[in-house]
Amino acid sequence: MSRDDATPRRERTGGNTFVGDVLVNARRWGLKATRNRFFLVGTLVQPIVFFVLFTQVFGRVATGAIDSGSGALNYETFLLPAIAMQVSLASAGGSGIGLVNDVENGMFEKVLVSPMSRAAVFVGKSAAEVVLIVVQILLILGLGVLLGATIQTGIAGALGVALVGILFSVWFTAYSNVLAVITRDQESTILGANLLQFPLLFVSSAFLPLDAMPGWIQTIAAFNPVTYGADAARALVLGQDVMQVIEVTAFGGIWNTVVPAVAVLLVVDVVLGALAVTMLHRASRAAV
Amino acid sequence: MSDFAIDADGVELVYDDGTRAVDGIDLRVPTGEFFGFLGPNGAGKTTTIKTLVTLLHPTGGTITVNGYDVVDEPRAVRETIGYMAQETSIDPELTARENVSFACQAYGVPRSERRDRIDELLDLVDLAEVADKRAEEFSGGMRKRLDAATALVHRPPLVFLDEPTTGLDPSARNRLWEYFRRINDQGTTIFLTTQYLEEADQLCDRIGVIDDGRIVASDSPAELKREVGGEILDVELADGEAATERAATIARESDIFADASVSLTADGIAVTSPEARSRGTDLLVALRDEGLTVTGFNVRAPTLDDVFLAITGHAADENADGSLPGEASTEMPDDVAATGGGAER
Repeated sequence: MSRDDATPRRERTGGNTFVGDVLVNARRWGLKATRNRFFLVGTLVQPIVFFVLFTQVFGRVATGAIDSGSGALNYETFLLPAIAMQVSLASAGGSGIGLVNDVENGMFEKVLVSPMSRAAVFVGKSAAEVVLIVVQILLILGLGVLLGATIQTGIAGALGVALVGILFSVWFTAYSNVLAVITRDQESTILGANLLQFPLLFVSSAFLPLDAMPGWIQTIAAFNPVTYGADAARALVLGQDVMQVIEVTAFGGIWNTVVPAVAVLLVVDVVLGALAVTMLHRASRAAV
Repeated sequence: MSDFAIDADGVELVYDDGTRAVDGIDLRVPTGEFFGFLGPNGAGKTTTIKTLVTLLHPTGGTITVNGYDVVDEPRAVRETIGYMAQETSIDPELTARENVSFACQAYGVPRSERRDRIDELLDLVDLAEVADKRAEEFSGGMRKRLDAATALVHRPPLVFLDEPTTGLDPSARNRLWEYFRRINDQGTTIFLTTQYLEEADQLCDRIGVIDDGRIVASDSPAELKREVGGEILDVELADGEAATERAATIARESDIFADASVSLTADGIAVTSPEARSRGTDLLVALRDEGLTVTGFNVRAPTLDDVFLAITGHAADENADGSLPGEASTEMPDDVAATGGGAER
């Protein structure tokens, strides 16, 4: 255009690199997390209550249902990896709340009008949430051990559980953000995440082995991501193949559980993640 | 030789639902100008500003901001502008300092300059003493000032302010005005939208009046007010419609005012004239001599309503279809329609 000749281009600030943008956003969300002690503690309290009540109330009965009733495996140890996944689920379910808050207090738009990469903005937020989930999972594993569980595989197993926890959080984080974009409302986002959280936990291999449950539950559990998260974490804690929904023998030992479980989680993550990214992208273009 | 901070040509923005929020706007804002964009709710002010700052894509026309095309080079535009949205945009969970610091980081202000920049900005907006308090504890005026500070961290040569003082009390408003004048004096181009003629009058070198998605007038505040035809004498009368009609006839046919327009109001008449102040008393005397009872009178400067009436032929608080504010249609272009993706603020 000819007009450009007459209008000198203003000097650009240059902004940050992609990684720089990710860090800027991760720092803000990390800072906000430390300001939200209630959320941090709240997401831990429920799994702790579950762990204590379940082991006390059902412990004796449940021990008969696990490990073919041999008694070699206590219920604390069986339950702990599933509780770690519950922590991941509860924490991930809150992700959309941050998005709703940002839209409400104008930070969403402020960030959109800044030169930061929009992808980096969401990656940064997710990175902060991942760090939080790892910390929470390690805390709950430590607490579980104090309360009588055994992690057969030691520190390596615990770190493996944290990694599974990250992988397991992605799809539910995506779901929570989809809820946030659709409802634009805190209460609805929380409700939507909680409504799904408990049926998913119960209709899965999280609390009891599937062969102890009725057929219809076994069928639904096979399509429930919680089953795969709980199985992978449990295999890593017990150091043995625990998967009942798919019979895999190709990898040997715990990998017969971990490999297929991780594969299923990756697929679910990609599908729901893509949906969330599409919806966030649309919300960004509509520019609130 | 021209140097335009904003150069917009035939800009249109039609929402998915067919609403023409911006309907062919041409706009040139020279570098260094304090430009006011004046119009009632729903006239298309916010939609225009969101298009200029790259938040919305124009459906027609071309826009360059600081020499960069808003559609092709949005990042360059974003790096070189500051934007203060209509609704205060700050993170209430962070302190004032952290809010400004986040903005510094978002705009890539070098680490070595950050601390000084943050102190300088917090000082400028009088928040230095509460720098380490969380923004959720702040009053509306303090939040606005913090928001303004975050919009300036990268020393942008052009700043967009969308109704920056709506909802503020007069003292908070005056402080912001002073602050905007200061950065304009330092060479920053400012594009401000407002519903208040007084605000535009106080701050702006030039005003564009927008109505129903189009710019209907563009001039200096003084010139716009001149178009209204002077100040306005409101006269309230007792005895109802017949008295009002008679008073209007007297005001029109007497030779008190050399040049006046007379209109009927709810309880009397309004006389617009350059001599409203100097000759108003003569009219009041004339009305009394005719046996009319004047129950109140007031001489005032023209308001947005008067400018609007003069320029557009309809009142500012009416839409083209005659509906009044508060009715859904008034909000359409700025709010409802902006929910293209189910969005709301």
